[in-house]
Amino acid sequence: MEAQAARAKPVSGRWRHALERRSVLAPLLIAPAVVFMALVVGVPFAWAIYLSFTDAIGGSLSGNWVGFDNFTNAWQDDNFRRALRNTFIFTLASQAVVLVGAAVLSNFLVRDFRGKWLIRFLVVLPWAAPVVLSTIGWLWLLDSLYSVVNWTLARLHLDNGLVWLLSAVNLEEDAQVPLQWLGRPNLALVAITLVHAWRILPFAVVIFIAGRASIPNEVEDASRIDGATGVKKLWYIDIPLQLPIALVAVLFGIVFTAVDFAVVYLLTRGGPFNSTQVLPTWAYFIGIDGGSLGEGAAISLFLFPLLVVVSVGMLFFARRAQVT
Amino acid sequence: MADVADELVRSSSALTRGDLLKKGTAAAFAIGMFGGLTDKSFGFYGPLKYANKQLSGELRIMQWAHFVPAYDQWLDNTYVKQWGEANDVEVKVDHINNALLYSTGASQVAAQSGHDLFWFISPPSTFQKQVIPVNDIVQEVTKKVGPMSKVARKSTYNPKTKQFYGFPDDYAPDPVQYRRSYLQEAGVSLRTWEDLRKGAPKLKAIGHPVGLGMSNEIDSNMLLTSLLYCYGGFIQNEENRIVIGQGANRKGAIEALQVMRDIYRNGMSDEVFAWTAASNNQAFLASRLSVALNAISIARSAENSGNTALSDDTWLASIPRGPVMRLGNEHVMGVFVIWKFAKNKEAAKKYLVDQQLGYREHFIRSQYYNFPAWTGAIKGGFKSIRQMTAQDTHKPKGKYTILTTIAEKYTTNPGHPGNTTPVIDEIFNTYLIPQMFAVVARGESTPAEAVSSFAQKAQGIYRKWKNQGLV
Amino acid sequence: MTRRQKTTTYLIVVPFAILLAFPFFFALVTMFKTNLDLANVEHSPFLYNDLEGGFHWDFWNYATTEHVRFLFEETNYPKWLLNTLMVGAAVVGITLLLAMPAGYALARLAGGWGQSAGVAIFLVYLIPPTLLFLPLSRLITQLDLKDSLWSLILIYPSFTVPFATWLLMGFFKTIPQELEDAALIDGASRLKSLYLIVLPISLPGILTVVIFAFSLCVNEFIYAFTFISSSEQRTVSAGVPNDLIRGDVFFWQSLMAAVLIPTIPLALLYNAFLDRFIKGFTGGAFR
Repeated sequence: MEAQAARAKPVSGRWRHALERRSVLAPLLIAPAVVFMALVVGVPFAWAIYLSFTDAIGGSLSGNWVGFDNFTNAWQDDNFRRALRNTFIFTLASQAVVLVGAAVLSNFLVRDFRGKWLIRFLVVLPWAAPVVLSTIGWLWLLDSLYSVVNWTLARLHLDNGLVWLLSAVNLEEDAQVPLQWLGRPNLALVAITLVHAWRILPFAVVIFIAGRASIPNEVEDASRIDGATGVKKLWYIDIPLQLPIALVAVLFGIVFTAVDFAVVYLLTRGGPFNSTQVLPTWAYFIGIDGGSLGEGAAISLFLFPLLVVVSVGMLFFARRAQVT
Repeated sequence: MADVADELVRSSSALTRGDLLKKGTAAAFAIGMFGGLTDKSFGFYGPLKYANKQLSGELRIMQWAHFVPAYDQWLDNTYVKQWGEANDVEVKVDHINNALLYSTGASQVAAQSGHDLFWFISPPSTFQKQVIPVNDIVQEVTKKVGPMSKVARKSTYNPKTKQFYGFPDDYAPDPVQYRRSYLQEAGVSLRTWEDLRKGAPKLKAIGHPVGLGMSNEIDSNMLLTSLLYCYGGFIQNEENRIVIGQGANRKGAIEALQVMRDIYRNGMSDEVFAWTAASNNQAFLASRLSVALNAISIARSAENSGNTALSDDTWLASIPRGPVMRLGNEHVMGVFVIWKFAKNKEAAKKYLVDQQLGYREHFIRSQYYNFPAWTGAIKGGFKSIRQMTAQDTHKPKGKYTILTTIAEKYTTNPGHPGNTTPVIDEIFNTYLIPQMFAVVARGESTPAEAVSSFAQKAQGIYRKWKNQGLV
Repeated sequence: MTRRQKTTTYLIVVPFAILLAFPFFFALVTMFKTNLDLANVEHSPFLYNDLEGGFHWDFWNYATTEHVRFLFEETNYPKWLLNTLMVGAAVVGITLLLAMPAGYALARLAGGWGQSAGVAIFLVYLIPPTLLFLPLSRLITQLDLKDSLWSLILIYPSFTVPFATWLLMGFFKTIPQELEDAALIDGASRLKSLYLIVLPISLPGILTVVIFAFSLCVNEFIYAFTFISSSEQRTVSAGVPNDLIRGDVFFWQSLMAAVLIPTIPLALLYNAFLDRFIKGFTGGAFR
């Protein structure tokens, strides 16, 4: 009977009926996005993987097969190993700063106070500025001669104190005033970490605020009734509830920082003496400026498997930690 | 021809950037130099047969944004227009920041489409397989004006493939620029590196240290490689093999490293590790540095700033002598390549030939920044060039004549005594040389270790490019 | 709030705001500085000084608008701003067009594998773009889009669509199924229910996507730089480092102006939509 009815329906009706079925509608709606991504990201990505196994040079998109040579050669170069190490350092350190900063700031930004709109506007600025432009600004702020940071520190008489602090924590032994933020390896690491953190902090703050807003009011009321306040509340209620959100914020921060090219390239070009190279910049110098494209492709892909594992892990953990 | 002269003056004075002083100075310079040239400079093109007509051909050129903006303005708005009108070709020139030439070039190769002519700031030997050889036009120009300069030849010729992969267009000598008053005050001479080593602490003591960079940028690369030559620490030999790790070269390199370490420890500060290509300019122009090694952009910027106390006190000198020799690198080696996928190769070749043959005007318009790759392209060769530089009116009079001496005697290509191979190109672009010097200066490595580590890396890079058949 | 709470609040937020915003205040001051003032190491970078470094109350006589004028009249900066705006708007449009259906499908229709698809989408961000521009150059050229803003409009959605899909997916999930079921019972088709019911409610989510996608476009510069060679066609992130840094000369004052000018409107926009944005996120990409 159904079959008869189906045959009897006009073509448009049958088509309409088909669209009602999940198994047809779902792929149809997803298809444009997937096809687009496959063409524009998938194909080039696959090509980049291919290149990393060849000896392609100069921008040419083909070369002779060399197996894993590019990967092993890269690993043997101490500049590469330092770039790998730095990628981790920048990513983890900056996100740690972001995490703490955003957690604290978001806590207070949800309150109502006069000037809240202005404060929010100021907080959002680093995130609103295009990264290339704001990094060029930092280049001037940390300049070897004209650094505004140093000038301000000097006027506030904090510069010698900072030098003392740096040697006290064993970060810099014999730093001199004015501090060369981009000229001493450890200072440069600190400077780049802070610029990354500065840029991501507003974004994380917003996500944290969103997370707070998502804590159902009943939980707030219940905790107050139960007498949980202050640190106890923080530890047993706030943090677990905000954990999923925090993880997402950290995850995005990690991804944006780990694959970032602009900040290191513009601030130090990997210097001083190649001590602040990260994988994206080292891949660029070897693969593009140095002409060894296959090697550059291998370097840039090194981190990908690791990032995949980390992201997948964090996302599933975030899902599991949901308290709904 | 008065209207033509006005045109020249107007086009150069109205288009300079920066503040008012800069405009005035450049205009004065233009009038001073171009007063006597008006008739000659247009005669070269021959009649502009296609003026005001629809041009049938198309030529696209990519080159850097010249540090002398007036040069680019003249090139884009006057020179290529007239060349195009004489040859029935519509010419379009794009300028990009020199740091991004390689990535743009790579993307054009990947895309197999782009500009016909691509200019690089240093010999683009890593792109050899993507360009057509230009032996024919090299021969054509050589027949007309004599052989090209040695630095040009070593930069663009590959002895293995016996081809000129690039057409050398121009180079910039790398003089020392110094503040005479500070050096006199401290009693320092720049004749030898030993003098500089001894003098650095004295200059630091009067608050005007020397500025020799050891950071990831072009100035440091050129300076430190020159230092290696002066001490006999050559990276390659004539056959383009890596030799810095052994024998006399190793010894020379170690000495050079020690010299730089001393200069840094007693005479400079950490800033030299953080510099961008602009930093030594800025520090010199702020009257802080006493000595810098750079193309003449520093001296010209000093003049443009209107600060005569600064510019009159800025003198030029050749690179100090080392125990083995006195030799420096070119600061810029402008090389044009014609991509294999270029659409208008014929016009590209004619353009290159014509430009070189008429290089006199380019030399002047760039305020002596661009020396022609074929010295004979300027009638009278170095003698003529010397006379022209002597005419510069900025004080001290005749200060730019030393450029000719440097160009003639003390300028070579990176990779001396070998060619500028892809190996050298990669070493430069990954900043291995500043890295080697900096780790020694900072005490993180002994000179011997640093040389060994560098030699090892260089060997690895050499093997890679040997497998490509390019060395 | 109690007095004590108020004080602690200000004690925390004000220093944060200062630390985060001071580079922009500094840019504001620097863009009007004269060359001689800027070049002098002794002078205060926060004030306008005369030649000897002294400050005057009529400070506007010691500042100059020359560099801002230069930025607007002698470079292609206005054109770059326009280009950036156009590219951003177009990309946001395309993103919504692709991501909304996909997000809806994954939220409602895909069942179990919707979760994993969400994760898979996210992984796209881990692909380092530093070398992708080479194969993409080839693609762009074959489509004859070289040197045109359309090349960017085509490529940018590749990094806006995944996030947008993921976000919208989470957002659509929070819309009670009952609303749609009611519409279906009333005879509307699924597509119609999507259009009439779901879309209006998900406005906060859509706004979130708009802001985020736009900000990703404005920040991108590797593709913007390599796909487009002629100065007039560039976006702001590619044009500024190219034209305002000439060899070894940095036009610092103009650079500072260039940083500030797009940032302020964007920050105002984000701030204005912040509450909506928060709602958008809370909509919960994580439920």
